Amino acid sequence: MQKYMYIVLGIVFVSLCYLIFVTANIVFSNDLELPKAKKVTDTGYRLVFITRDMDTTFWNKVSKGAAEQAEKEGASLEIWGSYSNNPEEFLKKLELAIHSKMDGIIIQGFDTNEFKELTKVKAAFYGIPIVTVANDVPMKESLRRTYVGSNQFQAGNLIASQLLHDMGVKGNVVLVYDSQQEYYQQERLNGIKHALSKYPGIKMLHAKTSESRDQVIATMRGVLNEMPDVDAFIALNANMIGPMVQEISKRSQVDPYFIYTFDDGPDSLPLLAEGKIDGVLKQDPEKMGEISVQQLIKWLNGETVPLDINGYFTNIQILKDEKK
Amino acid sequence: MISIRKKILILTTVVIVIMSIIWITLTFYNYKTQVKYNEILNRYLILNDVSRSSNQVITDLNNYMIHPTIDNLEKLELSKKVLGSAKYEVFKVRNVENHFTLTNYINLMDSLIETTDRLIGLERESEAAVKDLAETTRIGNYISEMTLTLIDMELKTHEPFYRGIMEHSIELVKLGIWMILLTSLLLLLVTYWFSLSITRPVQQLTEAASELSKGRFDKGITVKTNDEIAFLAKTFDHMRSNINNLIQQIKETAKLEYELQQNKILLQESHFRSLQSQINPHFLFNTLNTLSKKAYLEGSEEISDLLVSVADLLRYNLKQIDRSVTLRDELMIVKQYMEIQKARFTDRLQLKLEIDYSCIDVEIPALTLQPIIENAVIYAVEPRVDGGVITIRVKNESHFVIVEIADDGIGMQEEKITQILNERQVQSEGHSTGIGFSNVVKRLRLFYERDDVIAIESALEIGTTVLLKIPKKRGEKYDKALNSG
Repeated sequence: MQKYMYIVLGIVFVSLCYLIFVTANIVFSNDLELPKAKKVTDTGYRLVFITRDMDTTFWNKVSKGAAEQAEKEGASLEIWGSYSNNPEEFLKKLELAIHSKMDGIIIQGFDTNEFKELTKVKAAFYGIPIVTVANDVPMKESLRRTYVGSNQFQAGNLIASQLLHDMGVKGNVVLVYDSQQEYYQQERLNGIKHALSKYPGIKMLHAKTSESRDQVIATMRGVLNEMPDVDAFIALNANMIGPMVQEISKRSQVDPYFIYTFDDGPDSLPLLAEGKIDGVLKQDPEKMGEISVQQLIKWLNGETVPLDINGYFTNIQILKDEKK
Repeated sequence: MISIRKKILILTTVVIVIMSIIWITLTFYNYKTQVKYNEILNRYLILNDVSRSSNQVITDLNNYMIHPTIDNLEKLELSKKVLGSAKYEVFKVRNVENHFTLTNYINLMDSLIETTDRLIGLERESEAAVKDLAETTRIGNYISEMTLTLIDMELKTHEPFYRGIMEHSIELVKLGIWMILLTSLLLLLVTYWFSLSITRPVQQLTEAASELSKGRFDKGITVKTNDEIAFLAKTFDHMRSNINNLIQQIKETAKLEYELQQNKILLQESHFRSLQSQINPHFLFNTLNTLSKKAYLEGSEEISDLLVSVADLLRYNLKQIDRSVTLRDELMIVKQYMEIQKARFTDRLQLKLEIDYSCIDVEIPALTLQPIIENAVIYAVEPRVDGGVITIRVKNESHFVIVEIADDGIGMQEEKITQILNERQVQSEGHSTGIGFSNVVKRLRLFYERDDVIAIESALEIGTTVLLKIPKKRGEKYDKALNSG
């Protein structure tokens, strides 16, 4: 009887000791550390990357390239921006970046007066270098240091050549672009015009619209109503391709139309994969991010002063619908 | 010896120490957590401070722009100073996570101050002033927004920490419960053991006491502890053994007393017997006297004298056996005895007396000479037809009186002499009065407390001489004992 009692007591004692050991280990473990305070200011540059279209495939790639390069260079880079092309938010971020006295700003160009005002006056006042990426703004209006991205004129040219190759030298081509006429779209338009104007058989039709989805759909409806004999569409603003294709497929088959666009919109590549559009101009977003950071740091270090005003161009190529 | 008090003290101390350790640990832990809490709270307060003071700057700036008085300017300067110190505080909040944002934050504050400074210098109504005012307001908003961002970031950064703290506090409660259980268990065990260590010896003592009360004193008391109780038990055991010894002694004494009682009864009996036995000799003695008178009246004077001698001898024998008499008395009784013996042996027995009368008052046990002479008569005179001579000599020496009893008989064998001197019972041949030679030797030695009081010289066919060396002053011990007896 007593022996059993001793055994029971021993088991209770050992298990209590074990429990105490376990809980004490948790309680007194030192994993509750606050993040380490940083006393010394980082000597690396503070860069910011601002885009209007956060979380789209294209811009994610740009920011990824930039971030990797920044890490390589030992600079700290923050990625800011607005979602779904919200210019107000975008400009606010830019102003914030300027007031926060960043060492450098890499930004998706935005061809508006507010943007140019900020870059020309504010950024220049604080002496902050601005590098436009992917979408350019004229240097004289914005006082940007340089541009990194595709040569949009060449891109327009290339996509027009593809159109000619696919469609032949005769047909009606609708060019859809922003009524705002952003600089990069203008460049693309110029490129396309340059290629197509050689052929008298080709008729270029301009459809200007604002970027909102409803407007795009309305414009498309108008175009299709007015001009039933359209052969091809080129969306200069890649963001418009989604509503465009949607509207076309409502009315008829998408296949008979030659539809082309650029890859800096969220719907471009998926639509190409579905075979609803015939070609996409593929740019090199990773490289853009990479080079923009690289050049900005070079400028900050004083290695390349001044930067190439015309810009640093990245590769472009045409992606064709494989099924055709 | 570990006293019970010491044990209690040790137990209490151990309990207090354990409790203190637990208490100190928990207090220390709480203190550490509190410090961390404070640190975090302080961070929030610092950020909040920035937001508030930047808003204050903007409010004051607006006031100043509306009413550009010196008073308002002073207020503005003051709020700028507050913002400056708040900015300085923000450096403390800097960590790896918020480093970038925080730098922006600080720069924003700088921008605010710079814009404000610029604004003060400008014309109030000018376009630039209006623009700059709008800008300061925007910067102010940015600061507020960024404060929220930073606080949000803080929350995110510290989320694991908060969760950790919550988890820890839950674990702490568990730890407390386990600790209390363990401590109570241990205390219970220790207290049980401790009380046992006190009560067990007490129980042993109680058992021993009840054994004692039942009268069993022979069972030892052992308490194998090292405290007061053991001491008590030892003392108790000592007492027990003492009582046991005393009881043994009492028993022995009782036994002795009983024996004494028995002996007393025996003694009384023997005394009675001896009194009884004295009656017959007296009757005999009276009869002898009557016979003597009768013989004398009938003309037989010789028989009458003989009977008187016999009577005297008898009386002496009866009365004096255990008393000391003088040598004179002894000699007289010897003479009377010889008278009787002469009646038997007639001329065959001759007695020679060579006595120095100056020393015959020396004390001597009664019936000392008579047995020796009787012995001489029996062995030296009786067996021979022509009889023998017995010579008694009393010589006076400086310290002793020498009494010689010599015969001219056949002598005594060496063996027999040793036997007699060693006080062994000699096989008596023929008849005697009953008191043997060895008896005489024993009595003499006892009386004078000397061994050399008697000597026997013997030569075969020539004769035997018994030498008594009687000291003039004898030891007093025997005398006293004799007198009192």
